[in-house]
Amino acid sequence: MLKIKDLKASIGDTEILRGLSLDIGAGEVHAIMGPNGSGKSTLAQVIAGHSDYEVTAGSVTFNGEDLLQFEPEERAHAGIFLGFQYPVEIPGVNNAYLLKAALNAKRKHQGLDEIDAFEFLRMAKEKMALLDMDPKLLNRGVNEGFSGGEKKRNEILQMAILEPSLAILDETDSGLDIDALKAVAEGVNALRSPERAIVLVTHYQRLLDYIEPDQVHVLSNGRIARSGDKSLALELEEKGYDWVREAANG
Amino acid sequence: MKSVPLSFDALCDAVRNFPDDGLTASRQAALEQLRDVGMPSIGEEDWKYTNIATAIDIANDWLQGGATHLGASDTSNPIESIDADWIVIDNGQLSEDTIAIDGVEIARLSQSRRDIAPTGRLGGLNVALLRDGLHVSIGPDVALTKPLGLLIIDGASDKPSASQIRVDITTAANSQASIIEYHTSAGSAGHFANAVVNLAVGDGARVDYVRIQDRDRKHTQTSHFAVNVGRDARFRHCAFDFGGSLIRNDVAIDIVHPGSRSEFSGLYLAGGGQHIDNHTRVDHRSGPAESRQEYRGILTGTARGVWNGKAIVHEGADGTDAEQANHNLLLSGKAEIDAKPELEIYTDDVKCSHGTTVGQLDEAALFYLRSRGLSRHEAKQLLTRAFAQAIVSLSPLESLYEFLSDRIASRLDELMQEAD
Repeated sequence: MLKIKDLKASIGDTEILRGLSLDIGAGEVHAIMGPNGSGKSTLAQVIAGHSDYEVTAGSVTFNGEDLLQFEPEERAHAGIFLGFQYPVEIPGVNNAYLLKAALNAKRKHQGLDEIDAFEFLRMAKEKMALLDMDPKLLNRGVNEGFSGGEKKRNEILQMAILEPSLAILDETDSGLDIDALKAVAEGVNALRSPERAIVLVTHYQRLLDYIEPDQVHVLSNGRIARSGDKSLALELEEKGYDWVREAANG
Repeated sequence: MKSVPLSFDALCDAVRNFPDDGLTASRQAALEQLRDVGMPSIGEEDWKYTNIATAIDIANDWLQGGATHLGASDTSNPIESIDADWIVIDNGQLSEDTIAIDGVEIARLSQSRRDIAPTGRLGGLNVALLRDGLHVSIGPDVALTKPLGLLIIDGASDKPSASQIRVDITTAANSQASIIEYHTSAGSAGHFANAVVNLAVGDGARVDYVRIQDRDRKHTQTSHFAVNVGRDARFRHCAFDFGGSLIRNDVAIDIVHPGSRSEFSGLYLAGGGQHIDNHTRVDHRSGPAESRQEYRGILTGTARGVWNGKAIVHEGADGTDAEQANHNLLLSGKAEIDAKPELEIYTDDVKCSHGTTVGQLDEAALFYLRSRGLSRHEAKQLLTRAFAQAIVSLSPLESLYEFLSDRIASRLDELMQEAD
């Protein structure tokens, strides 16, 4: 589904990704771990198409197509979803309005009619209940005044409504209490299917107790330093990231 | 362009040609006051960003051309879908048919035989050339069931013209009223409209006021809105500027008695070479009392905005709580805003704050929306509308929300096209 080959990306004069390769197939759940500054978030932003990052070498293909030539919205239409580490507050833009506009943008791309307003509301409320979200958040400004946990739940709600084929969740677990973490994990697990792939970018092993990954990769210095199954995450938890760094440098 | 003097001789001729009516003495007195003072010029602190020379030029053309009064314009009411008791003021002339509202006295200033004292130089010009004015008096405990609408239509299609608009409104104790003031144009020849509105809000009264200016792009406007806020009164004012070439609005709020709350806000959307200046002044002379102010602007092209918000807390106005804010969005590199909050505080027990921002659309928000599938254009549209919509939410008349939102959306689409 997603094939990344020798990817190099910079912000300004600083190179962050330094030849990263990764293969993600349909139905798989990958966890990308690594210390701060290793390039985890950059990878997520580059896949979503953030213009601050310049890709200087390598390739990214999504279902066989060159992803890098697409605008961010085209990537969204193609089925890519980025759950932001820091969801943006947008006062004055109604949360329900954005959800509906996003869904309709996707439906339009698929050649479908706009969703019926009543049907949309029913669906949104159903998904919110699953995430244990206050329905009142639908009528607030996007993320405006939301708590940290509400913001992360709102990202998962957007994902649940858009039903992407590739979801990249950037540190969705950070700053969550245990109840929020469980709700978020439940939302993610509900989306697992043979047609979809999920990438969990995370600093800690904790999330992986609730969402079991097929593969775990450890990023160090802009490259994948190690890959393995879920036991790698546990090993990391025990030995710390220095162990990977040393292994990578040695 | 330098300052242009008003042609005083032509002004005298024009005043002489007015019919003898209840305003004759007031016109003469105003003319005398104008003899030596001239018009505001950019050499003055209050006018340094706004040169009204183009407006004075139009007035001079009109005066020297015989100052002929325009007849009734054949313009439909663009806001007629709004349910209100409409009074039409056409090139400064009141429509013949008058409306009757229970508990409300509506009179023509030309028939009232009372002296009208002008305030300031533009106020003097307003009285000197006043064809007629409106005096509205809302009785004690009267609650209007629908808004009072002032439909102000100005201009002609063939030649430059000028008009004076004058409305005095008093709302007695414990009355409740909503007022809509809507400015539009007939014809697209140059026009200078000079409006003066005085409002007295009675003790315990509640008054909601919305001013919408949507003039032709060749029209210029100066307006002076002065309000006296009574004891324990609540006053809300919201102003929208969409059109015009050169617009200068002054809002002056005088809080003489304790216990009131005044909210005033405004939105200006400008492109091309439009120039929109909002000067506000709130005088807290007595406390406790609250005032809240928020103006927002979206500018593109070579448009220029000016916001000058002055709050003066006078000695003895203890318990004053005043906030003012001005936020601006610049969609082009050549658009310009001069934003200046001014606080003068002469007493200790006060709470005052002010904030001013000038910026572009938030790139992080744009990317966030695009990552959800919205095009760059849709994302920009959504963010600019949201920015403007904040003022609609502050405006007091819900019956106007849809009308305003639609107008804002269409004007913003024009501005965004210009910015692309």
